Amino acid sequence: MSERTGLPPLDPADVPSESRRNILRMMGALGLGSVVAPGVLAGLDASTHAARAAVQPGAPVEPLQFWIPNWPDMIEIARQLGESWKKLGISVQVKQGTLDTWTAEIIGQHQMPHLAAMSWGGAPDRIDPDYFLTEFYNSSRLAKGGMNYGDYDDTKFDAIDNKQREEMDDKKRQQLVFEAQAMAAAANPSLVLFSRNYIQAYNNKRFDGIVPVTGSGIAMPYIPWTYYKMTAKTSRKLVKTTSIYDIHTLNPFATPEVYNSSLLRWIYPTFVIRNEQWDLTPWAAESFKVIDPTTVDVVIRDGMKFHDGKPVTVEDAKFTFDFIDKWKFPSFARVTGTVGSTEILPPRTLRFHLKQPNAPFLANVLGFTFIAPKHIWENVASASNLKTPADYPNDDAVGSGPFKLGEWKRGEYLFLKTNAEWWMAPKIDGVYWLVVPNLENQMGMMERGDADLLGWYIDRKQGDMLAKSPDLTVVSTPSHGLHEIRMHMTMAPLDDPNLRLALQQATDRQMLLDLVFGGAGVVAYNSPIMPINKFWSNPNIPNPAFSIDAARKTLEKAGYGWNANGDLLHPKG
Amino acid sequence: MELWRYIGNRLLQTVVTLLAVVTLMWGMFRLIPGDPTTIFLGSGELPPDALAALRHSWGLDAPLYQQYLDYLRNLLTGNLGVSFYYRRPVLDVLLPMLWNTILLMGVAMVLATVIGVVVGAYLGWKRGQRIETIGSLLVLIPRSLPIFWIGIMLLMIFAYGLAWFPIGGLRTPAFIPETPLQQLPGYDLAQHMFLPVLTSVIYFLSDPLMIMRTSMLEVIEEDFIMFARARGLHERTVRKMARRNAIGPVLTYLAIMVSFAFGGQVLVEVLFSWPGMGSLMVNSVAQRDYPVAQAAFFLMAVITILLNLLIDVLYVFIDPRVHYG
Repeated sequence: MSERTGLPPLDPADVPSESRRNILRMMGALGLGSVVAPGVLAGLDASTHAARAAVQPGAPVEPLQFWIPNWPDMIEIARQLGESWKKLGISVQVKQGTLDTWTAEIIGQHQMPHLAAMSWGGAPDRIDPDYFLTEFYNSSRLAKGGMNYGDYDDTKFDAIDNKQREEMDDKKRQQLVFEAQAMAAAANPSLVLFSRNYIQAYNNKRFDGIVPVTGSGIAMPYIPWTYYKMTAKTSRKLVKTTSIYDIHTLNPFATPEVYNSSLLRWIYPTFVIRNEQWDLTPWAAESFKVIDPTTVDVVIRDGMKFHDGKPVTVEDAKFTFDFIDKWKFPSFARVTGTVGSTEILPPRTLRFHLKQPNAPFLANVLGFTFIAPKHIWENVASASNLKTPADYPNDDAVGSGPFKLGEWKRGEYLFLKTNAEWWMAPKIDGVYWLVVPNLENQMGMMERGDADLLGWYIDRKQGDMLAKSPDLTVVSTPSHGLHEIRMHMTMAPLDDPNLRLALQQATDRQMLLDLVFGGAGVVAYNSPIMPINKFWSNPNIPNPAFSIDAARKTLEKAGYGWNANGDLLHPKG
Repeated sequence: MELWRYIGNRLLQTVVTLLAVVTLMWGMFRLIPGDPTTIFLGSGELPPDALAALRHSWGLDAPLYQQYLDYLRNLLTGNLGVSFYYRRPVLDVLLPMLWNTILLMGVAMVLATVIGVVVGAYLGWKRGQRIETIGSLLVLIPRSLPIFWIGIMLLMIFAYGLAWFPIGGLRTPAFIPETPLQQLPGYDLAQHMFLPVLTSVIYFLSDPLMIMRTSMLEVIEEDFIMFARARGLHERTVRKMARRNAIGPVLTYLAIMVSFAFGGQVLVEVLFSWPGMGSLMVNSVAQRDYPVAQAAFFLMAVITILLNLLIDVLYVFIDPRVHYG
């Protein structure tokens, strides 16, 4: 994803806020009490604008407004930071909301107050450093809908970031990635806190051969080596895994959402996959080779069959990319952005001609796209009168992967059956993904033996509780996801780099990790690439050590003062 | 004749009410920050221009009045639209959830009403005696408890503790019946339904019960009861007469109770992993899946309004003193 280089600032679609005003006009016309609503909205707008008011020298620093999703860990982090920063004379006002509202306002509208906290999951796409570096810090993501809502804007950073994306040699790329991280770290755009471990459990009396994978735990569908390798210890070879989500579609072209698309990749295998050590290994491909910076050859594995018995050929592979290019599916934007054309080199090689060199191509395109059966998809749109094949229900989901579609009972479970024809066929008979929205119920089902794997993640205390049961083994796996607090670099007083540095120094990361997650995690460097991602993480930019004194000294040197109450005051001159 | 005119008038009012409800609801959803592409934000899978393309393909960048008129036009032709989240017709998404809710809540409401009416009539009849005072107090206890607490307690005792019932879900995946009891058809479903139904019955019992009791208290003061006793009718007959006269308000309340049962039980559904209308409503709002959310709320409005009308009409047949026109 995000292979574009030097994009011009995108034209924001300002529909929602304008539409809000239009609705109010309409409601007024209908005589439905339009007095209250505009007042409320005006009030909300005003509070954001007030924060942008001019800074008065010598005046007390305004309270920092902090937008967090209403999760227990975030609430506690915000509370603790409020207390730490009070010692600097800074006060914090916390606004809580649901995840969808946070996303809509912060990412969708860039209605960013001073601070916004989020935890980012360890999805497989994010192992490649391009994801976090570009999404968080590249200026092409400054537009609404992009994730650079802190307004970090540095053309020098953009230059290095765009260069790393095109460097196909890993060693050279590593240097560029290190440089980009160091450059961003110097500006302190974000308080990167830590990564939390994924704590999960499995039933050791029933199953063996569980494989923990960094960022995926033992049971999540993202890099599912457990499911490909586990063996049954009893006569029941069907696995029951709990999850808080259900998928929403069986159409692999329709969904951009990571959970859904990961599960569908069990049916529609990707060309390459990351193994347990995160190395890219051939999966539906037999081998792959970078010929030159814009040419990649992929040899399709011999002997594969689709779940309806027809053979998988290189023609199907080429068809898939032509199909994506023809319909321009939004969830495959990363493909249409990088792949110029494909060419068949008989007998089984597909040659990719990239639009420009693209380092994440191998992991995030070859590790994301699959081989779709041409005989099924080529007529889907015309046959069913659909505007786009992405609207096709695909209830029979014919792929070629290690699992076939068994049954999907919406809201209840998804059953995936083993495909014995796959070259590395799983040793179990199938997996039931049970939809259990309540995490405590998931734990109860594990204890009772109603489920074999806990497919979400629990915290340290819950893990200790499950560990008491002799049938259960609790596994804690590190992750490359992160908890971070973005700072609004163009909003006073956070536009002062000294204040941002002081906040960094006044943040006790180890304490927060211990308090909120029982220490099950890894404290971060001053970079969104987590230490666990050893090859790409720059170890030379640790976060400043926690010290209120050092923070106060930083502020003093920058001209800040304190009044009799201990409130922080803006510099005078 | 008069009755038909009454029904006609009411139906006309219904249409106007529904139009107002639909408009208000449509407007409210558009007021919430975000839109159906919001769920794809933050995953970073869609760069901003792909999001714009998606929004365009869903007609979300059309002027608002256009979207509203399109929605109304579709609604009038019975087209509930296509879900943004599931990418299939709204009815495909809605109907299975609706059946799940009807199954669970239907059984629960019938039980709660029947038990409530019988016990409420009994308590009302025994006015002034100790059993009535104690009974009335006891009944208010479950009503004051949060429904999810009742559910959690039942889960704790019967599912976690005694393991008599499963922890949740609609059915056991890959269920293989072992004992003869398990081989009875519907055994698995009944086992899964028991605790959520019990939770709902305990919670919803008190409303019809207290309404029946209050209504009964009024009825037994009436002259015809005294007269019936004076005529020497058996106490049981008198009580039957009283009950039949007292049941009216409970019927009126039924319409409200049904609408609560339909959409308001998301807490029970999440607790028992029961995929029903409540969860659908909450999730579709969180996902900004306008077509599904609007259809679900619209359905709830239609059912409530029509049920009210039906019960008002039924009144004519239950109570001959009632006539319209």
